[in-house]
Amino acid sequence: MSRPLVALCLLAAGIAGLAPLAVMAARVSPADLATVLDARTLDLLGRTLALGAGAAVLAFAAGVPFGFLTARTNVPGAGLLRPLGVVPLLLPPLVLAMSWIVLVDLRGAALAILILAAGTFPLVAVFTAAAWERIDARREEAALLVGGSWAAVRMGFPLVLPPALCGASLAFVFAINDFAVPDYVSSLGPKFNVYADEVFATWQIDHADGKAVATALPLVALTLAFLLPALALRRSGSLATVDGDFRRPAPLDLGRWRWPAAFACAALVTLAALVPVGRMLWEAGGGAQGWSVAGLRGAFARAIELCGDNLAASLGYATSAATVAVPLAFVLGHALERARRGRLFEWALVLPVAVPGILFGIGTIVLWNHPLWNAPALRGLGVASFYTGGGLVVLMWTGRFLAFPALVASGAVASFDRRLEEAAELAGAGPIRRLVAIVAPGLWPSLAGGWTLVFVLAMRELDAAILVPAANETVMIRLFNGVHFGRDDFVAALALLIVFVIVTPGLLWSLFARRRMQVVA
Amino acid sequence: MLRTPLLALLCTACTPEPDLVVYCALDQVFAEPLLARFEKETGLDVQMHFDTEASKTVGLVRRLIEEKDQPRCDVFWNNEIAQTVRLAELGMLATYDSPSAADIPPLFRDPQGRWTGFGARARILIVNTDLADPAEIEGMWDLLDPRWKGQVGIARPLTGTTLTHATALYSVVGEEKAGEYLSRIQAAGAQGDVNICSSNGQVMTLVSSGELAFGWTDTDDFNVARAKGRPVAAVYPDQGGIGTLVIPNTVAILKGAPHPDAARRLVDWALSKEVESAMAHSDSAQIPVRPDVSRPAHVRSLDGFEVMQVSYVAIGKQIAKRTEEFKELFVR
Repeated sequence: MSRPLVALCLLAAGIAGLAPLAVMAARVSPADLATVLDARTLDLLGRTLALGAGAAVLAFAAGVPFGFLTARTNVPGAGLLRPLGVVPLLLPPLVLAMSWIVLVDLRGAALAILILAAGTFPLVAVFTAAAWERIDARREEAALLVGGSWAAVRMGFPLVLPPALCGASLAFVFAINDFAVPDYVSSLGPKFNVYADEVFATWQIDHADGKAVATALPLVALTLAFLLPALALRRSGSLATVDGDFRRPAPLDLGRWRWPAAFACAALVTLAALVPVGRMLWEAGGGAQGWSVAGLRGAFARAIELCGDNLAASLGYATSAATVAVPLAFVLGHALERARRGRLFEWALVLPVAVPGILFGIGTIVLWNHPLWNAPALRGLGVASFYTGGGLVVLMWTGRFLAFPALVASGAVASFDRRLEEAAELAGAGPIRRLVAIVAPGLWPSLAGGWTLVFVLAMRELDAAILVPAANETVMIRLFNGVHFGRDDFVAALALLIVFVIVTPGLLWSLFARRRMQVVA
Repeated sequence: MLRTPLLALLCTACTPEPDLVVYCALDQVFAEPLLARFEKETGLDVQMHFDTEASKTVGLVRRLIEEKDQPRCDVFWNNEIAQTVRLAELGMLATYDSPSAADIPPLFRDPQGRWTGFGARARILIVNTDLADPAEIEGMWDLLDPRWKGQVGIARPLTGTTLTHATALYSVVGEEKAGEYLSRIQAAGAQGDVNICSSNGQVMTLVSSGELAFGWTDTDDFNVARAKGRPVAAVYPDQGGIGTLVIPNTVAILKGAPHPDAARRLVDWALSKEVESAMAHSDSAQIPVRPDVSRPAHVRSLDGFEVMQVSYVAIGKQIAKRTEEFKELFVR
């Protein structure tokens, strides 16, 4: 491993991801910390915990069987169901909420939990599926010989449980940081406020900048409290059982349960992905006022005419951020797994993801618009013009989302046979060559997955987009302005366009990810 | 491997310096064509940044505050007034007495010339005429009438015009009554008797779709439902009482604006009768603050209803403090 290269990548990650947080942390005084928690905010935290736990439990309950059935059994249509199962994760949660609120007679916390679980169960399913696929055929064959399919499942479940819990932890983290969905779905009936509302509202108060930062800390702590165990699971090796002699097992035969299982999986995908998309198609075509193909065409034409540039801007920024993040993530992910003290900087990578978007966005503008950059000695760096350009958007999203591809890459490195790297080293290959020529080819599906994650999250980002100048042109701002103004057909068409743009690379990744085992083995 | 991302970064890193930077909280769908017209008329290259109300974001006002030490914005075009006054109180706005503002009533002009109001919205009750008779609804207290339990809505007063409205009540009906009203709204919201919605736009949507009988919203949102042919009517509340709150757009130049001359040109243009008329004729149906500005029939004149008598400066001075109180009250 090349220490200068790792140091350079760490520096880049620090500038993009940690420096904005350091700027904000400097505002907090002990007095701010002392006033954060009281009976009211503790109550909000309790509700937030309940929301996160509810969503995580449901996501676990749906994701584990879905992942197992589509990855390891002969369920009909698995090849289609599995990539479709990723789609809900790629849909903006508010789009799910906008669809479901008109379809079910449920409101408040219950609906928020359902929607957030529907949007996050793919996390559990993806981890579960990957874990089942990592179980060696010889182990499974032994179990089959001893006790049939049920014994194979019982043998595999303890191996699959840690990654599935890791996925559920991530579902929990997503759920507790979302406040648009609980707010939106409790617009009718008793109001259901969550702690993230408190974080948002505190920013509106003058002379409370330190408190606004401090208010975010309980949520950050809660997020880390669930993310770090997930990382520990990964570190323990539970997520990486593949070695160079790996043999892929044959699909388990479900017998007469094949079709009921396929129906259950299809129902889940339909409810979580196809119904919201169908609902938007209906609205885009005119909805209750009378659906027509001409109406649908007109809505799409208007959406493209009004927001084509915004869509292109979002695509440009998200693509650039993902493309910048992946090489950094590759180097850092490799170092995380292989370096002696790699784990020490794992938390630092995760921190930018754990803080609310508002905090990260404000930190970014405070850092990059600092008057210091206009000092005569620094003026030549051009930071003043960088602040208004798209480069800052790319930098911000890279810093915020770098953890995802880095952790994906790190997990893939853990599955990668170390002996191949050692052999290359003995043959005289230097650290950078080993990375590029030996490790990278074996990891490309994971790197593609990491790229997709950054792309999707960057396309969906809203809070920071309001705050950073060039990000203001992004399509999510147009979508939310449309939502505010009640332009149903236009909003639905625009949402569908965004979904299409977001889902396409996700589906491609899902298809590529299925080949990972072949590549690694 | 690093070459491609670096090229991508470089390609998106640079933007040409504009002639003017505008932060605009008026809905993008209305403001963008107007500002494009200004660009065409003047030949200036305007960089526009828009706000969004429907998400729970911390918007342009926060960005202006964070950029205070090194302003990037020349002109702040706000779609309401209280946050503009707040910025003036924070010492962030420059003084400019625009000649275009000469005939704008003093109520809508800052005595110190830091901001000027124009094209206003009224805070009204949107009523679904299939579910309620607009004649039976008079004003703010109807929300708490047991007859309408579970059928009424209001946006949470933490942002936008609902925040301004809630703050205004304190100076109009007094501390005690305003506090009682909002506390009762919150308590009813916790029970589901009053629906606390995510935005004024959502109140409009729920009323026009028949899920609610009536609720607080703004005239621009009401006009969307009206234009779509939904069964809705607007009740201008508390006529004969405290009157209906009117919230103007405001325009202001930032202290230390990078392009002050272009900023003054935009302010003069925005405050012209032509622009105010264009705003009245747009889908946002803004009410001109000058009686002689042309407007369509569905846009009321300020002479046509009883306007709530408020000091916008007083509201702006209070708004940050009230936000803290409303947060304690409504985020629980």
